[in-house]
Amino acid sequence: MRDIFQDLFNKVFGFFRQAEKEENAKETAVNRLRVVLMQDRTNLTPELLEKMRGELIELLSKYVEMDKDALELNFEQEGNQMALMLSIPVLRAKDEDEIEAEESENSEEADENAEEEISDAEKSEDSENAESTDEENQDEQYESEESNTNSKDKSK
Amino acid sequence: MSGRVIVITSGKGGVGKTTTSANIGTALARAGKKVVLIDTDLGLRNLDLLLGLENRIVYTIVDVVEERCKLRQALVKDKKNPNLCLLAAAQTRDKSAITQEQLKDICEELKKDYDFILVDCPAGIEQGFQNAIAGATEAIVVTTPEMSAVRDADRIIGLLEAKEEIQSYKLLLNRVRPNLIKSNDMMSVEDVVEILSADLVGIIPEDTGIITSTNKGDPIVNDDSSLAGKAYNNVARRIMGEDVPFLNLEESRGVLSKVKKFFSGLIGKEK
Repeated sequence: MRDIFQDLFNKVFGFFRQAEKEENAKETAVNRLRVVLMQDRTNLTPELLEKMRGELIELLSKYVEMDKDALELNFEQEGNQMALMLSIPVLRAKDEDEIEAEESENSEEADENAEEEISDAEKSEDSENAESTDEENQDEQYESEESNTNSKDKSK
Repeated sequence: MSGRVIVITSGKGGVGKTTTSANIGTALARAGKKVVLIDTDLGLRNLDLLLGLENRIVYTIVDVVEERCKLRQALVKDKKNPNLCLLAAAQTRDKSAITQEQLKDICEELKKDYDFILVDCPAGIEQGFQNAIAGATEAIVVTTPEMSAVRDADRIIGLLEAKEEIQSYKLLLNRVRPNLIKSNDMMSVEDVVEILSADLVGIIPEDTGIITSTNKGDPIVNDDSSLAGKAYNNVARRIMGEDVPFLNLEESRGVLSKVKKFFSGLIGKEK
């Protein structure tokens, strides 16, 4: 019974929110311009952005299992500042043991400098990913502000 | 005398650089200043048309740098205004016909005899643009409330900021349509100013009168009843250092407002 009311409430509330939030042509133009100008001004090429994305995935997957394909990395305007928004669909947070195990594994790899082990490790990670999709918290999303850059930085 | 050299630029084509140059130049001359307009759009000259001087051009800027004539001989006097003259671009040559140094020298020479040297810049950010800004110490960036024009203006501002000789630049927002802004279909003046974070020197409303004035070769500032003409006149006054408030473009232009205008004109409130 409670669920039904909750559902109804969400629908009604959602409807009004949507009506409120609908973007007009002017707002669309302003928002699109801000993003494109951010890119123009920083000289961050799509290649560099992709590289940054790859490195962030590498770093963060030490701590969480995530849906790597759905990861989003975007510039957004927050008042006078530009923010780099990173949205990561988290499948499962890793526990301490796993993180430690991975750390030691990594240090071993570094010591031995063995390339074969890396590819092995990747394979086993992939199979873990497939299992963990059943986890309950798979839709949980973490939004983190990675860095702020000044929007008025026009010097090149 | 040491005149001010102001380049009128935009990045994007078709936003009204040449119209702006012709009108600000004419308005300054009407205010008693001695003005030279330089068209640097080699191969695509149009400033002569807007001023109605296309049949009077004998020598061009290329003839000056190639020493086929004296600088003074190449200056074409305006029909109405003895204070205004034009240094036309060559129509048969391209932008490589003059160098930055040569343009700088011409500006230095003109500074001695004129109050204002307005340089009409070609579209783009290549050599033509670099030539046009070479002799200038001030800039007016013309843009419209459209995404592509604002983006290009931002690029131009970046380039102007990197150029030491340019001491200041101001934004001129052209072709503003109050009705579209009111209905949230067009970016407002505030939006554009905030995005570009630059000072405004003028807001010019979209005006069909611009088309007829261009067809006649008579800048719209000569038409005292035109709103765009009034706005351009205000730009000229701001350039001369006056503190002029921006026109209220939102007034409806129906019969009622004309009646109001008439009465306020009698009382003397209307500017």
